[in-house]
Amino acid sequence: MLLNMLIDANVKNTAANYLPIGIQLFFAAGLVAFIMIISHLVTGPKRATADKLQTFASGIETHGNARSPMAIKYFLVAILFVLFDVEVIFFYPYAVNFKQLGWHGFGELLLFVGFFLAGYIYIIKRGALQWED
Amino acid sequence: MNAIIVSAVWGVVMMFCSFLVKNKGLYRHIATFGLIILLIAIFLNAWGINIFDIDDHNMLHFNNFGTAFNTIAIACTLVYVLLTGKEVEKYGKYSAEYFTLIFFSLCGVAVLSAYNNLLMLFIGIEIMSIPLYILTGSDKKNLKSNEAALKYFLMGSFSTGIMLMGIALMYGGTGSFQLEVARVQGLGPGKSLSFLEVTGMLFLFVSLAFKVSAAPFHFWTPDVYDGAPTVFTSFMATIVKAAGFVAFIKLLEVKVAETGIAVDKLIGINWQLLIVILIIATLLVGNITAVFQQSVKRMLAYSSIAQAGFMLFSLFSLNDIAHEGLLLYAAAYSLATIGIFAILVKMKDYTFEGFNGLAKKQPLVAAANTVFLLSLAGIPLTGGFFAKYYMLASVMKTGTYTWLVVVVVLFAAVSVYYYFRVIQAMYFKEGDAATEEFAPSFKFALVALAALIIAIGIIPSIVLNLFYF
Repeated sequence: MLLNMLIDANVKNTAANYLPIGIQLFFAAGLVAFIMIISHLVTGPKRATADKLQTFASGIETHGNARSPMAIKYFLVAILFVLFDVEVIFFYPYAVNFKQLGWHGFGELLLFVGFFLAGYIYIIKRGALQWED
Repeated sequence: MNAIIVSAVWGVVMMFCSFLVKNKGLYRHIATFGLIILLIAIFLNAWGINIFDIDDHNMLHFNNFGTAFNTIAIACTLVYVLLTGKEVEKYGKYSAEYFTLIFFSLCGVAVLSAYNNLLMLFIGIEIMSIPLYILTGSDKKNLKSNEAALKYFLMGSFSTGIMLMGIALMYGGTGSFQLEVARVQGLGPGKSLSFLEVTGMLFLFVSLAFKVSAAPFHFWTPDVYDGAPTVFTSFMATIVKAAGFVAFIKLLEVKVAETGIAVDKLIGINWQLLIVILIIATLLVGNITAVFQQSVKRMLAYSSIAQAGFMLFSLFSLNDIAHEGLLLYAAAYSLATIGIFAILVKMKDYTFEGFNGLAKKQPLVAAANTVFLLSLAGIPLTGGFFAKYYMLASVMKTGTYTWLVVVVVLFAAVSVYYYFRVIQAMYFKEGDAATEEFAPSFKFALVALAALIIAIGIIPSIVLNLFYF
């Protein structure tokens, strides 16, 4: 019955359309509850000490504060990397529809890349990528 | 289409000027030149000449109303750059970039005045807002400016999230991003809108009310307008805010017009009542809080909320007078506010006391400032009067909730109090108003602007006939 409903839901444009999503939501929430309960039942006693609660990475002891000021250059390079990385993502839809879009699509892609190139020239000329002061 | 492309391209030109042109004083002249080109481009658009023939897949729809508003927005920006362009150079060495951002923001305004698709609405709002987040924080050494920028950015992104959710729900309800499709599917005879579309519409409503700073979504406005450098507050509070209203009215009007279905029947929610509540809350918060301000800049921030309350009337009535009224309001309010901010930037002290005795020292500037303030208060013979008149006339034409007119007149009377406090300080109080040097050309520009506002107040048809064919 449930399976029929799920199949029908694709055809009919009703609230039942969203039943699969509801079921998924139920399972997602259920899984979280299930894992939390099991992990509490299975694991042994908890005795927290200062040493046990410390942040632990590769056996090196923590030192200093994580919120110390850092050179803005790191953020600049990181954010510019993300920017140009995201640009590449926009190429995928174009690559998929490469043939259908034809020369028209190619022109629009050139426009897109052209705008990005203008931004890139600006970044270089403004010295945003200059590491040494 | 002309305006969208020209503004984006000129933004890039300004960007390149920042390292190609060494003389920093030239930037604002290049920006002025760009705005004149933009103005020519939008006029060509109005006469049906398209420089660029681009298939927009019906995602943009250029009608008279949108083009007329776009023309007003560009003209106001031109006035803004002519009056206060020099002040932009005060904030760091990146003044060319600030003009770049203003051009990009104008590109968003152009998209918003022509959108026909919910995706374009989203893109327009984003293109318009993101440059503003940067401009708000452009006074990098000032803590208040930083705070304002972060606040604006966080709250703005949150409202963008709500808008995206609304668009997604509308898509779920209608299966299309096109505004007409939503209309045809949802409002045909014997059909009712789905629950999804109602919820989506409400989300869009909330996020756009945030953008135009209507109460109870106004909380970001005073802090952001107060913290941002005064030059950029002037741009944010006028052109950008009016563009938000144009986007808003386009969204609601397409859902309502030509279907013969009244606003209050739409989607099971009484939209008119909703907007009435919004109007009264906005007028109350804006006007009453403005009365208690000590700083003129913060008073203007609250006054911009109050003025938003008046502009909300166009959303309430959604008839032809409302459209004309919104155009007139956008022009009158933007010009007057740009003028006041241009004077405020030159003041050393932003409190009311800072204006004491300005009339004795600078009679011409004080007179122009008086005209701007009178226009904002809606006194006859200024542009603000006819703007408010059209708004009230549009409510009378709808024939429902006519008692609103009384409420509005009362609030307008309250607004007179805090606008006149500035005039009182300038003319009737003894003091030595500390100002920067007023150049003769600046004074001339102020007087010309005041004359323009009075001209709009005498013959409002110069705005409407010139642009709204």
